[in-house]
Amino acid sequence: MLSLKNISKYYQAGGNKISVLNNVNLDVDAGEFVSIMGPSGSGKSTLLNIIGMLDEPSEGYHYFMNEAVHQLKEKSRSALYKEYIGFVFQAYHLIDELTVYENIETPLIYQNIKSAERKALVADMLDRFQIVGKKDLFPAQLSGGQQQLVGIARALITKPRLILADEPTGNLNSKQGEEIMELFRKLNKEDKVTIIQVTHSEKNAEYGSRIIDVLDGKIDSSRNL
Amino acid sequence: MFRNYIKTAFRSLKKNKGFTLINVLGLALGLAICLLIVFYVIDEMSYDRYNLNADRIYRVNNDIKFGGSENSYAVAPAPMAAALQAEFPEVEKAVRFRQNGSFRVKKGNQDIQEHHFIYADPDVFSVFTFPMLSGDPNTALKDPKAVVITERMANKYFNSTNVVGKTLLLDDTVNFKITGVIKDIPKQSHINADFFISMITLAESKEPSWLNNNFQTYILLKPGSDVKVLESKFPKMVKEHVDPQLQNVIHMSYDDFTKTGSYFKLSTIALKRIHLESNMQAELGPNGNIRYVYIFLAIALFILLIACVNFMNLSTARSANRAREVGVRKVLGSARKHLIAQFLAESIMVTMVSTIIALIIAWGLLPIFNQMAGKELSISMQSLVWLVPAVIAIILVIGCLAGSYPAFFLSGFQPIEVLKGKLAAGFKGGFLRSFLVVFQFSISIFLIIGTLVIYNQLKYIQNKDLGYNRSHILVVKNLYALGNQAKTFKDEIKQMPEVANATLTGYTPTMDYRNSNSLFQTATLDVKNALNTQMWYVDEDYVNTLDIKMIKGRNFSKQMLTDSLAMIINESAAKKLGLADPLDKTLYMPLDQQAKHVKGYHIIGIMKDFNFNTLRENVSSLTMVLGEERGALSIRVKSADMPAFVSRVEKQWKSINPNQQFEYSFMDEDFDATYRTEQRMGKIFVSFTSLAIIIACLGLFGLAAYAAEQRTKEIGIRKVLGAGVSSIVAMLSLDFIKLVLISIVIAAPLAWFAMHQWLQGYAYRQNIQWWVIALAGVGAIVIAFVTISFQSIKAALINPVKSLRSE
Repeated sequence: MLSLKNISKYYQAGGNKISVLNNVNLDVDAGEFVSIMGPSGSGKSTLLNIIGMLDEPSEGYHYFMNEAVHQLKEKSRSALYKEYIGFVFQAYHLIDELTVYENIETPLIYQNIKSAERKALVADMLDRFQIVGKKDLFPAQLSGGQQQLVGIARALITKPRLILADEPTGNLNSKQGEEIMELFRKLNKEDKVTIIQVTHSEKNAEYGSRIIDVLDGKIDSSRNL
Repeated sequence: MFRNYIKTAFRSLKKNKGFTLINVLGLALGLAICLLIVFYVIDEMSYDRYNLNADRIYRVNNDIKFGGSENSYAVAPAPMAAALQAEFPEVEKAVRFRQNGSFRVKKGNQDIQEHHFIYADPDVFSVFTFPMLSGDPNTALKDPKAVVITERMANKYFNSTNVVGKTLLLDDTVNFKITGVIKDIPKQSHINADFFISMITLAESKEPSWLNNNFQTYILLKPGSDVKVLESKFPKMVKEHVDPQLQNVIHMSYDDFTKTGSYFKLSTIALKRIHLESNMQAELGPNGNIRYVYIFLAIALFILLIACVNFMNLSTARSANRAREVGVRKVLGSARKHLIAQFLAESIMVTMVSTIIALIIAWGLLPIFNQMAGKELSISMQSLVWLVPAVIAIILVIGCLAGSYPAFFLSGFQPIEVLKGKLAAGFKGGFLRSFLVVFQFSISIFLIIGTLVIYNQLKYIQNKDLGYNRSHILVVKNLYALGNQAKTFKDEIKQMPEVANATLTGYTPTMDYRNSNSLFQTATLDVKNALNTQMWYVDEDYVNTLDIKMIKGRNFSKQMLTDSLAMIINESAAKKLGLADPLDKTLYMPLDQQAKHVKGYHIIGIMKDFNFNTLRENVSSLTMVLGEERGALSIRVKSADMPAFVSRVEKQWKSINPNQQFEYSFMDEDFDATYRTEQRMGKIFVSFTSLAIIIACLGLFGLAAYAAEQRTKEIGIRKVLGAGVSSIVAMLSLDFIKLVLISIVIAAPLAWFAMHQWLQGYAYRQNIQWWVIALAGVGAIVIAFVTISFQSIKAALINPVKSLRSE
């Protein structure tokens, strides 16, 4: 599904070149559930952002769904991730001014989907996540776990092939975290959605099928579970 | 998608109530002022356009230089209209007007003083568009003692408009036959009359003299003729007609006359330009001034700009709060153009709400504005014709203009950076924002200085020693009504214990009786040392009643019988005469057209100059002789209880003639009325300036709030490190105060220059003093500081634990 070849990322800070990722190679197949682990500052978030095309590598080759991403223009890149990738953030990043319903609907609007169809899709999603009763609430009226649920629902609404989750349980208590991870596992098993998550927790990492350890901008190890 | 934008916009605005309020209110205030000004300007520009022939109507003006003084007159000689029509094919019709005082009109057994009388030639109704309700417009003014009245007057005197054939008794003496009723003349007309009397009634209208100018003369050109061509033929006509008469009166040919530097020059002005551009002697009424239209438009633009700048500034300052939303939307797949559209939609929405509020504010302020500007503006169906498209245009243009910067600025964010929270520093480095604040405050300071200068000048006018004393003078008007008993009335008033003195004459500094004349130093009327001067008919109490100082010689005296040929002149006249000692010299005045008889006046006194014209002009020559003039009785009063005194004078008046209206005023109030335009402008300036400053401060208040919010973390850290409240307030305020200082540097010279130009219109003026500019600068800083410190102190008082916990 995706393949990173010799990916490096560095910043210019003052006179120094600060390397964040150093010659990273990574292949992820469709249907995998990959957990990226590593200490703070090891470069795992940057790696995830590059995979999600929110960030560009300084060097290397990046293939996604058989497209050479490193050669694509901004516009086609954006079209590519719009179609195939859903994001889940640690801080949920819901739009405060929109209700649960509208938050989930927003990506569909940007894909120019008709209003009637949008309604059906969002209704399905609300049903599936059992948050129908909360559809008219605003994010501030929800608990963290519920907000993250909405965040995931929003990520799934466009039927992405790949979900990228940056510490999805980082702001949640352990019970809420478990529920979210169960949800991910279910999505991976039943809906065949490929998932790549960044996490600090060994326990959460074990929900996946593979754990990648990142250290100082390099992939330190890759374990299949 | 559009609904989604509106929803987000609406909720986002609702969430930031304070911000929205500042934004909407500021813009609404600005727009309301603009609307009022546009109302005013449109009204001023629409003068005389109701005339269907407006494009072909011109007034003939006369520039005259004679006896050392030159003047532009809106009037021309009586026979000129006929000559124009006879001699030039371009002229289709020519119509004369003549204003000659007011009349008392009889209603039942009551006499009502009416002021809007005008004598007019019969063709007036075919040149001007005064639709006639009843009567024949072609013949209405053909016969003597015919009068055409307006609908309003017909209703006032007869409760009906069907009054053709009835009579009006004027001044209790003459019956005028009503030959027509016309619709009321629109307010936007420089001709403002309620009674048109047939010109033939006036003997003066048949006089052949080309040397007296008393008739406002309007011509209707034939379609397609060029007024410039017509004007080029004027000099020849003037010469032909003036030359023989000049030979008769001063025994000089027109060529010799022009060789002495004197001239008569005829010119034309288009009807539509008269109201705003003409300000000559003997206008039909006070006109507007195009300069004020420009000034108003400039103020409107300034205020609108300030309000727009607020909008832009607050929106971008707030960008950090919106940045996360932008980031999320971008990650969710929004293209940049969608975001731009979203922010523009938001800004247009705010503008729309503001415009609606502005309309309500403007509508509510209209009566106050009317009072200040001396107008009778109203929102009518006619105004809707331009108002509706204007409002839509305003919403779109201002909405896009004010929204464009935040739209492009915000939509350009990189999602990953804002989501990581890197844009917290979004407030700093806003060069554009600083620039806009400087711009706003420059305008505000400019307006403050302008206001101060205008006020200073008005105060100066109020307090200037005019050479006479205008306080405690009651002016009883129109003693013609008392006929021969005017003098008796004066004597009776003088007997009253509260009265210090009284003088009977209409020639006072505050009334508009004027009489210019040419006096000669030789009985042969040698033009070379002629004195063109005002010549007033007064009585022997004049000098003492008005407290005018005599420099040399003496006042008129009742005891000296020879004083009927005596004359007092002012300093300026004395200077103009160029004599070492003008006292006891004689000045000669021709008594008839042919100058066969002359009258010599013996100079018995020289008085100190007093300002009998407005302070816009220098004091010119003035001579006074004894004569019975009954225009007014000016009474110098000792008593403090004016109302009681006035009622006693009225009683006295009624005892002489119970049917006559008693009209009075106070000289100091009349004096103030002369400067009503300035006073109006002053008031409007102050109001607008205050509003401009309030709007600018609203913006600054919002900006300061966001600056403080953005720097919450920095403030927290500084406090943990030991910074005191005052040092933090200073830190936050200084950024803005610096901008205000720059504004002062920019605005002060500009304002000084502009106001210096304005002051040139006054012969007597208070030049701009340094403290005016200092005061404006200090004022702006203080206002800005107070506005900012509210936010700064609030920010400085926050517990650092709270602000640092954010992550």
